[in-house]
Amino acid sequence: MLHFCAWLQNNSLLVAINSSIVLSAIMEVAHYAGFFLLVGTIAIVDLRVLGVAGRGQNVGTLGAELFPWMWVGLVFAFLSGFVMFSGDAADFYLASVFRIKIAVIALAVIFGIIVQWNARKWGQSPSISAGAKLLALISLVLWIGAILASVEVPAISGVG
Amino acid sequence: MSFFMAFAKWLQGTSWAMWISGSTWVYPFVQATHFSGLSLWLGTNLSLDFRLLGLGSKRGTAAQLSNALFAWNWTGFGIAVLGGFSLFASAATKYIPNPAFELKLAILVPLGVILHIVNQQKVKVWGATQDLPAVARIAGLLELLVWLCVVTAAVSIPNFDVH
Repeated sequence: MLHFCAWLQNNSLLVAINSSIVLSAIMEVAHYAGFFLLVGTIAIVDLRVLGVAGRGQNVGTLGAELFPWMWVGLVFAFLSGFVMFSGDAADFYLASVFRIKIAVIALAVIFGIIVQWNARKWGQSPSISAGAKLLALISLVLWIGAILASVEVPAISGVG
Repeated sequence: MSFFMAFAKWLQGTSWAMWISGSTWVYPFVQATHFSGLSLWLGTNLSLDFRLLGLGSKRGTAAQLSNALFAWNWTGFGIAVLGGFSLFASAATKYIPNPAFELKLAILVPLGVILHIVNQQKVKVWGATQDLPAVARIAGLLELLVWLCVVTAAVSIPNFDVH
């Protein structure tokens, strides 16, 4: 893995992007905009399933409108994140707080997919089950956890 | 000392602000609050802007989408502002002279909010049917670009820190 990190850190395209102030800024903006889109859309669906708000809207319909943007956001966040990771790959890889961030994100994506798969079905039943609400709650908590873990990475590890 | 710097100095010295800046875990938590609020605010803004551009699900009209997202949108704004003000307070004297911060807060954010309110009101007419007029696409694109500029200014703040 560390060999791969070293390879990434020496890859000329990635080095060029990470050395350029303008391109680095674009990567940051893409990363932030991507995850705002990603987390915002899934959070709304989760909160709707939990019945916290938006009860006038059908879960399935809301989901159908928002899930495409969830994926667009994820792709932008992932690609830009990968580029930024490559700049200091070994340091990030070795930082336990960064590994925690990635693990939380991976779990959050899995639960987001579970919510997406079930949204239409949940919207079709007269009331939303406790099991569904639990899944949505876990999804929401994981995404907030992902944000929290992410802001801790520079604070604790000093990288990025 | 200018009025803003004097206010910043006072704000930074309040016990609440010092609690934020003085703790290893509080500051990231406040950042996370700002980002969570922004996720709702920008997530819904961008969803509407994309819809105005004619992208995304055509299941409902743009007006219906805007209506459905309205409460989330402004709740997100409130949380983002609360988090943002707390971040600002923790190091106010550092932010005031920072040109990226000045640009972001004095010009770009107000511009974005105004454009957004205009779009939210206008979409009731533009997006009443599935046929969006050209002006709607322009308005959506404009707002999208302004918010991207806001994020750019925000990430540039550390590059312009005055020591």
